[in-house]
Amino acid sequence: MSDSKKPLIEIKDLVKRFGNFTALNGVSLDVYPGEVHALLGDNGAGKSTLIKVLAGVHPATSGSIIIDGKEGKFSTPRQATDAGIGTVYQDLALNALTSVTRNFFLGREIKKGPGAFGLMQMKEMNRITIEEMAKIGINISNPEQPVGTMSGGQRQTLAIARAIYFGAKILILDEPTSALGQKQQMEVLKTIKDVQKLGHIAIILITHNEIHARLIADRYTFLSLGEVIGSGLAEELGGDDIKRLMAGGAEIGDLRDELGA
Amino acid sequence: MNSSNPTVQRKESDRQGQKKWYSSFTSRPEIGPFGVMLLLFLLLGYFSIPEGEFSINPFAGEGFNALGIRNNFRVIAQLGIVALGAGMLIIAGEFDLSVGSMIGFAGGCMAMILKWGFAVVIPYISFDGGFHFEGLKLFEITDVSPLMALLITLCFTLSFGWFQGWLIVKSGIASFIVTLGGLFFLRGITEVSYRAFNRAPDQTAGSTTVTELPDIKNIIIVPGHGEMERDAAKLLPNDQLLEILSKVPANTVAKLTEQLTYINEKVANNKTALAAKKMIETLEKSLAGAKKSGNDSMVDILTKKIEAGVEVPPVAAKAVTDIDIAKAYIDTIFTARPVANFFGGDIMEPVFDWLYFSVDWNVNMYGNMFAKGMYSCLMIWLLLALVCYFVLSRTQAGNWIYSTGGNLSAAQANGVPTNKVKISLFMFTAFCATMFAACQVFEVNTADTAKGNLKELEAIAAAVIGGVVLTGGFGTILGIILGTIIFGIAKEAFFYIPGIDGSFYRVFLGAVLVTAALTNENIRKRIIGSL
Repeated sequence: MSDSKKPLIEIKDLVKRFGNFTALNGVSLDVYPGEVHALLGDNGAGKSTLIKVLAGVHPATSGSIIIDGKEGKFSTPRQATDAGIGTVYQDLALNALTSVTRNFFLGREIKKGPGAFGLMQMKEMNRITIEEMAKIGINISNPEQPVGTMSGGQRQTLAIARAIYFGAKILILDEPTSALGQKQQMEVLKTIKDVQKLGHIAIILITHNEIHARLIADRYTFLSLGEVIGSGLAEELGGDDIKRLMAGGAEIGDLRDELGA
Repeated sequence: MNSSNPTVQRKESDRQGQKKWYSSFTSRPEIGPFGVMLLLFLLLGYFSIPEGEFSINPFAGEGFNALGIRNNFRVIAQLGIVALGAGMLIIAGEFDLSVGSMIGFAGGCMAMILKWGFAVVIPYISFDGGFHFEGLKLFEITDVSPLMALLITLCFTLSFGWFQGWLIVKSGIASFIVTLGGLFFLRGITEVSYRAFNRAPDQTAGSTTVTELPDIKNIIIVPGHGEMERDAAKLLPNDQLLEILSKVPANTVAKLTEQLTYINEKVANNKTALAAKKMIETLEKSLAGAKKSGNDSMVDILTKKIEAGVEVPPVAAKAVTDIDIAKAYIDTIFTARPVANFFGGDIMEPVFDWLYFSVDWNVNMYGNMFAKGMYSCLMIWLLLALVCYFVLSRTQAGNWIYSTGGNLSAAQANGVPTNKVKISLFMFTAFCATMFAACQVFEVNTADTAKGNLKELEAIAAAVIGGVVLTGGFGTILGIILGTIIFGIAKEAFFYIPGIDGSFYRVFLGAVLVTAALTNENIRKRIIGSL
């Protein structure tokens, strides 16, 4: 990870106010292609607001988002997607009742014919689904199986593969390992690692789990009360720093001592 | 440490049981409805075989003679048309209770336009000679063609469907309430319109029916007479019938003569057979009487007579006259109102002709043809079903419908125009109701305000029996078709079961409905939450 690399997305002095409330107060961070940038912070630190601004759900009050050297102004999620920002929310936006392929292409089906009544090219769509899932390490034997029959980890992979296939250069993952079992958490982390290896995608990983962040993150940014309170490369930060910064910068000391007192 | 260390790594997929060869059938959600349908078919088939006769062929009974098939599939097809719309809408997560009233409304609309024409009138209040309403007629079309009547009706019904859908997606009010409003509103407006337009000259309120429409589908062009109804043409004076016949090509006359001769012979043969049967019955009655009174010699004579069989003089076949041929020719003239015939006429007549003339099946007890074809609504149902099947399972729109019902927020997050999907489907249910109404009006040439009553609930029941889940996202067109057949055939099947009240079919359907709903929910849960 040399610093000579150009960041894929530069966020500069981003401010977001909801009326009187300042959710983000001048947040800046750079994310590089092929890197996992962990965004950490306690509840209410502004993580969700930041990703919603990046995803085009809320427009920014001031500040700039520069993608690949071009200034991005998003007022709808569509604009953000078109600019190459793919957001995978916690609920994954999947329909458990239909097949993997139908979900992969939901809203962007490959079709021949007039408008919405065009025939879906199922064979081609199945092929692409299998290929794209395989690229990030999941082999599905039957793309016609309902998503409901997949494990939580596989579903996460499906959502990630879908975002990448439809042009996401910057992948925002919102708490991808929460609500999963141990084994599935590892599955998801492996998937993220595989995306990282692709080399051209910048990943913003929002997580509460310090251990997971340490396993795969290249760079960290810590948020507290809408401001960046620390950032750095993985190798520069010690475990205690991470713990302290995650808690919002307060010296909470050793949890064990606290609880013992 | 006491953990086992398997030599072969176990995979998640290993936990799934081995699939049996038949599991591709049994795991299909339509298997349940298919079984019930089969059961009903067998019940109907075997129980409708007349008493005392035995057959392993379930098609030997009354339930599946030509007329039985014709009538049963009319009931099924009519329900099927609205069940398709209702089912698709439920798959998208909404439902429409206004379907039944929409049928009444559309039928009334069509019949009234056909009878009195169509006008656009601006009402205004007038105080001239007391407070009352006056109307300013903008334009008027009298003598509206069937197609025009259908199109005008579609304008009304589709707009109403659009409005209901729009209101539901914009306001977020449950479709149950909005369409329940539609149910009352449409039924009311239909009734009011009937009374208003049927009003007698003395201003007393009119009836809630439209009758005395011409038999539009049977309007034909008779050579030398112009357009007239088929039945009226057959009642023309003999000399005029012969005049018509004189212009018919010779080979057509020859063919008609041949057919009429065949029919007359058949009728004569059946009459002979009927006479013989009657004689045997009389002899058997006498035999029973003789046995009772202990008249042994009489018993002996009668038994021998019955064993020997009876000989009745054969009934002579009626001769084919030119008048008969002329009438038969008039029957073959193609309609001059193809749209009315498309909805209200018959289909598959050549097949039923072939069954009568060549297979010797479509024959009633008097030797005449039993059914002349299937009702046209069967074709409309099957066409609609085919279109729905393609849309739902093969097109982008289909994927959008499933996702709109399966996970609304996911569909929206992926850019699916869920509001458009829902509004379109509300319009589609209105379209289906209009098709139903068109089939009815053009078939029976009458309309009344009670038409389509309860059809909205029957359509929902048929869809649910066919595997559609009320919460949306789950169901197939094949399932809806099976559910419709079950719903349509149950009444007929239970009618033939000896010794039970025919109304048990409702008990049966209620139980099937709830069982189906439970099964559907189970399958859905298994898919959503498995592993």
